[in-house]
This record gives sequence, C-alpha cells and structure tokens, in this order.
Amino acid sequence: MKLSKILATAWENMKQRKLRTSLTTLSVVIGITAIISLASLGEGFRLEIKDRMQRGFELDSLTIIPGSLFAGLSRQRFTDEDVQSISKISGVKVATQVMQIGNVTLHNGNKTVQAFVATAVNFTEFIGVFQDRFVYENEPPTEYKNDTIIIGYKVNHPTENKTTPFAVKNDNITLTLEVLQQSTPPLPPRPELQNYNFTVGGTLQKKGTPGITNFDYWIFIPLETARKIYNNYESDLIFAKVYYPEDSENIAKEIERLFPPYRITILVPLTFIKQVDNILTIVQLFLMAIASISLLVAGIGIMNIMTVSVMERTREIGILKAIGAKSRTVLAMFLAETVLIGIVGGLIGIFTGYGLSYTLAYTLSGFMQPQQQETVFHTPETQRMTINPIFSPEWAIIAFIFAIIVCIIFGLYPARKAAKLNPVEALRYE
Amino acid sequence: MRPILEVREVKKGYRMGKVLVPALYGVSFDVKEGEFLTIFGPSGSGKSTLLHLMGCLDRPDDGEILIDGSNVLKLSDDKLAELRLTKMGFVFQFFNLLPKLTALRNVELPLTIAGVPEKEALEKAKEMLNLVDLEARMNHRPSELSGGEQQRVAIARALINNPKIVLADEPTGNLDTKTGWEIIQLMKKLNEDKGQTFVVVTHDPHISETADRIIYLKDGLVEGIKEAPRRNKQ
Repeated sequence: MKLSKILATAWENMKQRKLRTSLTTLSVVIGITAIISLASLGEGFRLEIKDRMQRGFELDSLTIIPGSLFAGLSRQRFTDEDVQSISKISGVKVATQVMQIGNVTLHNGNKTVQAFVATAVNFTEFIGVFQDRFVYENEPPTEYKNDTIIIGYKVNHPTENKTTPFAVKNDNITLTLEVLQQSTPPLPPRPELQNYNFTVGGTLQKKGTPGITNFDYWIFIPLETARKIYNNYESDLIFAKVYYPEDSENIAKEIERLFPPYRITILVPLTFIKQVDNILTIVQLFLMAIASISLLVAGIGIMNIMTVSVMERTREIGILKAIGAKSRTVLAMFLAETVLIGIVGGLIGIFTGYGLSYTLAYTLSGFMQPQQQETVFHTPETQRMTINPIFSPEWAIIAFIFAIIVCIIFGLYPARKAAKLNPVEALRYE
Repeated sequence: MRPILEVREVKKGYRMGKVLVPALYGVSFDVKEGEFLTIFGPSGSGKSTLLHLMGCLDRPDDGEILIDGSNVLKLSDDKLAELRLTKMGFVFQFFNLLPKLTALRNVELPLTIAGVPEKEALEKAKEMLNLVDLEARMNHRPSELSGGEQQRVAIARALINNPKIVLADEPTGNLDTKTGWEIIQLMKKLNEDKGQTFVVVTHDPHISETADRIIYLKDGLVEGIKEAPRRNKQ
C-alpha cells in the first residue's frame, strides 16, 4: 500500500472520529505549547539579563582587589610597581589605581554632605578606564589641579532635587578627612579630623550601574594630594581596561601570575556573565524538561486512545488482513494516525506556545514593576524590565520532532497490537 | 483439470484453556481449476476452519496445503498475505464490508492494498460492480444496501484482483432463501462465464447440490466426495 494512501486513509479515519482526534491532538498541543512558551520566554529572559549585565558591567574592565575571600582580605595593598607591571601585560589598554579614603564630610558654606565613597585617583588614567561613565553635568575641567575635586551625582544631589545641588563647578569647598597621626610608641596611631580646601572641578551626571562601582555615590580627589595628606603611597584597588573583552579572562590569569597565590582577587565581568548565562540556560532547560512531562502525559493519552481504537476496529483489521493487507501495512496505518496527531498537534503547539510566551511575558513584566524602587543599584536601565520572547527555530524544530517521536513511541504499542492480530480471530471479534 | 489447490492430511485443533479441541482430523482433497466446489456439512463439522486454512488465513497443526504445487505453509505471514491478495478472494457470511466506505471504495480496497494507482483501481472497481449489477449503487455505504446487495459488493471485491480461487464461507447464511439463491446463481454465472474457481462452504443441501463437486465433511473428516450431475453435462 502506498504511503500517500496510508496517510490519506489515516486522515479519513481521524476525520470520522473528530471529537476523539481533537482531544488527543489537544493534549499534544498543550505539551508543545508548554515547551515552546517556556523556551521562547526563557530565551528572551536569558538574553535580557545578559544584555542588561553587559550594559551594566564594563566587560572590558577588570577590578583587582587585594586578598582573597578564602584566605582573608589582605592588609597588603598595591604599589606603583604593581600597577606598572599590570599595564605592561599585552592586551591591557590602561591600568589605574584607586586609594580609598573612607568617610568624608564636604562643606560648602552652610551646606554639608557625607560622601560614603571618597577616592583618590589619577584622573587621566581613571577617565581612560571609565570614559563612558565619567560624564560631567557641565563642561569638563580644562585641567586637573592638586586641589581639584569631582563630585558624583548622588553626593551633589542628595535629595534628588536638581534645583539645589550641593555645589557647582568652581565652588570652593572644604573636606573634613580622618587622618591618622603618629603617637609615641607603643600607643597606636590616633585618628584626627583635618580640613582641606578643594575647588570643584566638575560634577558628574547620573549614571549608576548594576555593578560594584556606582560613581553616583563617589567623590574623587587627586591621588598625589591624598598621598601627601595621608603620607601613604599604596592603593586599595586597581582597575584595568583591556582592548578586547573576550581576552579579559586570559588577561586576568596573567595578572594572577604576577602575584603570590591568594594575594589578589580579580573580578572579571565576562566570567560572571558567563556563569549567570550558564545558570539561566540550565534553569531554562530544567523548565522545559518539566514542560516535556506534559507531552509524555499526552503520549500516554494517545496510547490509551489508540488501544481502544484498535479494539473497536478489530474486525476492520481482520477484513484488511483477510483481503491481503500485510502486518506492516496495518502497523503503518495506525502509526500514520499517531504521527498525523503529532504533526498537527506539534504545528499548532508551536504557534500557541509562541503566542502564550507573549502573554506570559506581558504579565510577568507587569509583576516586575513594583520592584522598581530607589536603590544603590538603581540605574536608568532598570526602570523597566521587559522580556521579549525569542522565537528560536531550533527549539521549534526540536519540539516538533519530539512531538512526533513521542507519538510514534506511544502509538507503536497499539499499532503493533493491531498488526499482530490473527485474521481469523479478528474476523470473529464482535 | 489440474488441481490449483491441494489439501493433504490437514489437521487443526483449537486450544480452549488447557484443553485442545480438535476441529479437523486429517482432511485431504483437491480443488480443480475452474470448478464450483461446495464443502457441505453440519454445524461444527470443521467447514469454516477448513476454508480458513485453504485461504491461508490460519495455519494447520499438521498436513500440507499446496497452491499451484507449492506448500504455502512454509511461507512467512507477509508472503501469505501477498498470496491472499493476489490468488484468493473471500466472501463471508456477514459480508465483512468496511462500514465507513462506499460500495465502490470497498470493492477497490484490494487494489489499494496492492498499490494500484487510484484512477485505475476505481475503473476496475466500477467494472466489477457492473458485473454484479450494482453500478447504480456504487456510492452507497453498506448500511444503505440490502443484504443481497452487500453480498454482491463482497463478491465484486473478491473478484477484483482476478484471484485463482474464490472462497465463500456460508455466503447465503445471512440472507433470505430467495436472495441466497440469487447470490449462488450469480457465483455460478461467474464460474461459467469467467471460469472462476469457487469453493463454497454451506450447510444448505440445496446449495451444495448446485456444485460440480461436493465434499461432505463430518466431525472433522471427509465423509465422501460426490461428483454432481452438472459436471457431467460439461
């Protein structure tokens, strides 16, 4: 019997049992819908997270901090030589060091603000690393002098009231710093508050970042000035910018080799993003595996219905065999029905799955809105989390083939049962 | 006439639970090409079992069945199916038509299974329905046909593959006497006009008497073989 005729006969048989066929197909549709919607949604969610992380973390910058989470944070800090040797590594565009000053109080006339992160940097190098985020509200300073101070957005606008900033460019302000003064041994050095005058070189635009360095809360003074005030030539952090983000992991390994084990920790955004991406992929696959269970349930439904169908059509099978149909023809006729259920259910499921993923994305985006509160990591980008489902042709093909395979596997038992029927017994069946 | 089908010491029993119930004890006879043969016997004599074995629908426990001289029982199930498709035609007591198909499609079915192109198969099916005088009813489903008409459709279906032998199992058993007689007359006409070999199983002595030869079967054994007067006329 020709394949086209077998398929046509199967289609006719299915049409004659419309309700049964529709319900069986519906079970496959539900299974495929679940798989495709989770695949599309998961892919969209994963890419959204990845994209946001790539925008948030400067992929081309490495953060090098002394010590290790496992061996304890080191008291040993970085020297100029450390920075220079990092700068010399091939692939590193620029490396810059940051000295952290601690709590600083800023006074401008009768206005006072607290800066939680006060840092001393080499402005030229630092801007070289963070060009995109180091953007001034007004004109940038023509030159960076020893008393230049740059103020982050949140320090300058503590209440977000843009009409009354703490300071504007060229204001002369006073910084109250905590400086350690030597005591007579064996007494430890004692902290002393000292005032220093600075001129505001510029104020920064609100930039934020979901990463670890949010310059909105930072103030910056020249490194050389800080060194003189504190009489300390070591720094707390090194930032390195690489030419190509994809090299960042290898460059991090080379930097690690410059120091003894556990002496430093390097934060590589690329590694972090890759890990998160891997985790999201695993979660996506896990969800799809759960969704696949519904397709297996559909398969059992198909097996059940087809077994009943074989029983009902026993006499018909007997007639077909009596007039010369081979066992494999009967097998093919029943399998064709389940395959057609798989094809139709699979195709409908792909469309409904993609449609459902949009509905879910819309609903989920709605749920995410209340979480948009002012936080340290608040950035313009996080104001609206939208998930755009991604239609992946690969997943559609995999799900479609999976549907057909499930239908074949579960259709095989009843089809074989039909094929193995003894014609005489089948003809006697009432 | 040379035999086209030979039955040699065929034995068959059915297992009912742990008990083996014998149906045929060792039956032997020949079917000659072009003859109209009836197998006559009371209910339970093993007629239908014998017909099923002759039609390769079942396998005997012992003995041989030869078609055109070769033992068909050594063949695989698929080969037996092929043999049924190409060399056998079946007519059953309960017609055994597919209820969802029209008369035309029912008649066409063996050709569809054989993979004959649809157009050609439908032409042949119409021709067959014409032969049994049912062309006007070809688009009717079995439920819309009378018993006699259904049996004529079954005869058309049995003949469409131009089989060597048509095996009919109580073809009049489900029909009234008049219609049953018409069916037998139709088969005889086909036998005479086309030289088609018929083997008809019946428990009706009037029908069996119309045959060229009668095999008398009783309790699973051939009780006797009778050459009918019709054959002597030829």
